[in-house]
Amino acid sequence: MALTTAPAPTPPAKKSVRAAAKTRRPGRIRHGEGLAGYVFLSPWLLGLMGITAIPMLLSLYLSFTNYDILTDLSDVEWVGLENYRRMFTADPSYWHSVQVTVMFALIAVPLKLVAALGVALLLNRAWRGVGLFRGLFYLPSLLGGSVALAIVWVNMFNRDGAFNSFLGLFGIEGKPWVNDPEWALETLMVLAIWQFGAPMVIFLAGLKQVPTELYEAAAVDGAGRVRQFFRITLPMLSPVIFFNLVLETINGFQGFTAAFVLSNGTGGPVDSTLMYTLNLYITGFTELEMGYASAMAWVFLVAIALVTAVFFSTGRFWVHYSDGDGH
Amino acid sequence: MHPATSPTADAPAARGHRTAPRRAGLLRRLTAAVLAVPLVLGAAACGDDDAGSDGKIEISIFWWGGDARAKLTEEALALYESKNPNVRFKKTWQANQGYFDKLATLTAGGDAPDIFQIDDNFLTEYASRNATLDLMPYKNEGKLDLSKFPESLWQYGVVDGKLAGVAFGENTQGLVYNKSLLAKHNLPEPKTGMSWEEFIAWAENVSKTTKIPGTMDPSADYKALWVWLRQQGKDLYKGKDLGFTVEDVTRWFELWKGARDRGATPTADVIHEGNATDITKQLVVTGKAATSFVWANQMPELKKNTTDELGVIAYPGDPSAQWARASMYFSVFRGSKHADVAVDVINFLANDPEAGKILGTDRGLPSNLEIRKAVEETVTDPAMKLSIQVENELGAKFGPSPQVPLKGHSKVRSELVKFAEEVQYGRQTPAQAAAAFVEACKAAIA
Repeated sequence: MALTTAPAPTPPAKKSVRAAAKTRRPGRIRHGEGLAGYVFLSPWLLGLMGITAIPMLLSLYLSFTNYDILTDLSDVEWVGLENYRRMFTADPSYWHSVQVTVMFALIAVPLKLVAALGVALLLNRAWRGVGLFRGLFYLPSLLGGSVALAIVWVNMFNRDGAFNSFLGLFGIEGKPWVNDPEWALETLMVLAIWQFGAPMVIFLAGLKQVPTELYEAAAVDGAGRVRQFFRITLPMLSPVIFFNLVLETINGFQGFTAAFVLSNGTGGPVDSTLMYTLNLYITGFTELEMGYASAMAWVFLVAIALVTAVFFSTGRFWVHYSDGDGH
Repeated sequence: MHPATSPTADAPAARGHRTAPRRAGLLRRLTAAVLAVPLVLGAAACGDDDAGSDGKIEISIFWWGGDARAKLTEEALALYESKNPNVRFKKTWQANQGYFDKLATLTAGGDAPDIFQIDDNFLTEYASRNATLDLMPYKNEGKLDLSKFPESLWQYGVVDGKLAGVAFGENTQGLVYNKSLLAKHNLPEPKTGMSWEEFIAWAENVSKTTKIPGTMDPSADYKALWVWLRQQGKDLYKGKDLGFTVEDVTRWFELWKGARDRGATPTADVIHEGNATDITKQLVVTGKAATSFVWANQMPELKKNTTDELGVIAYPGDPSAQWARASMYFSVFRGSKHADVAVDVINFLANDPEAGKILGTDRGLPSNLEIRKAVEETVTDPAMKLSIQVENELGAKFGPSPQVPLKGHSKVRSELVKFAEEVQYGRQTPAQAAAAFVEACKAAIA
């Protein structure tokens, strides 16, 4: 459709095309290009509307109903704010899952970023084989939220798993990590921290941007390694830290796969791994309370947006953008 | 699926034109391809014709199970196809984990299979929301023959006066024990009819002698609690209410706290492993306990996961508290466009002697008593033989079936696991956990 409005650039007609372009009214060009743009966008646009926007709006509507998946959509009852009321006042397992998720994000995200930055600093040197190590450290995060990895984790951190055998070498008696309600969530945190590859690569790129003359000048002034790190590296890196922090926090809140696999989809032992998204999934698909689950999803969306907003509003106090006039 | 074929089919053509001078042609082609993708996707989405190109009626059928079940079921369905050439099946099957998530999603999309397998956990959930077709009229018209079924068995598919599913296979609770282990240490085997206290004392002795915990702790297991409650003159549900009190559950939790303190059971984390419903994780086959509390028809499947000899008896206490339970059902989706054919297929699978022989005892003892007899005479698998024998022995002692579990039953089950584990891990006292459990149950079935 779009191409029929634009003349085909056949070689013999070059001159006339140019002439035509001169005489053509600019409005028409814009119109034609706009249409072509939308045509080329259409696969993505259809996807956005069909897979994201429309279902999201539908779920907003459902969050005010008692929709239970099995009932026909036309038969659902409007219950107003009942789902939200129940969530905030009458559902202890909801608050438990909030607590588990916040705990997970509060501990796993900072540790993951520290690990990523630490390793990035080590790998930011020019020594032989550094490329290989970069690749190796990045590997775990390529496996991402994979089910296979979670299964490996469960087997490694069993009572008779590899980790306890390793501890046994030192005469330490391990715990049944994944099957112990005191330790199951911590085991998941370790898994998340271990996958520090993605922020590490971003940190590495950030470190390469720091001008070496700053370090040279600092060294001349007698600043030691530690002082250089806190006075130069960290401030120069702060935009990258900010970016990683926002991204990883959102990721941390959304942790699902590992908790699902580790607990056979139950959030166990004793709800110790009942992450928010897992609770949402169980509510919607196992207990069939899709209206309630939709309400949970919307509260989650708003909560993540708020956390992100807080990051952005505090960011101006500690994030330094070196280029341009801003700090 | 269809859309995947179109871009790949286009690729060689586009490559062929790379050297051609007519770039405009290539561009047009590319645009066409870009535009075509969503179109093809759209077309594929509406391409689910009921009558295929060959004019046959397509019946979709969905079940959970392993390879063996898939093979038997496909064979039986092929037999139906050969007798009814105008019918064609669209078969889908998968493991139990995730099955009900998928079934719920399909139902939500109005895309539920014509026939689906379901169990008593979810039967009421589906029936009370009108997702299942009421089969009672078909039964009354004689299109669905349940006359050879034990009365209590087919009635275990009745929810609110509607026949929500046809019981496919009968089973009952079974206590499976490791025969080889006991023989090796010259220990007596447990016997049907021993009291819970006797059983726990027996298990304690096994732990001491073999250094392997004598029994799985079933305090988180709803079916064990259920049998125990019935032995106390109570039940899991009564009408639209719970059939037990906080005191009952406290005693149940205390019974097993005592057993754990005496070393009759494994530690909490091992019990937690055994609390998974997955057959391969049952402690009697992972070698972490000498017994497991399962369903009797799971014997053959358990046997596949261990080299040890297994035995099976009733749960401890009075065996008349057990009942003939429908191990699963086949239901028809209320929105099915070919309900009559779907019912006929279920009728065929349940009552046709040939189909019955093919299906065997894979889903439990065949519901049709004549077929059950025929299958029993021909079965060769020793584990299957044993489970049939035990179920028949127990069958003589069975009490009446309880009512089909209420809506919210799956939540009740998961809450039991949670609060029993609270006690097992020593985080709550039996009384605390029992009170919290009963409160959670009341919310779940409200």
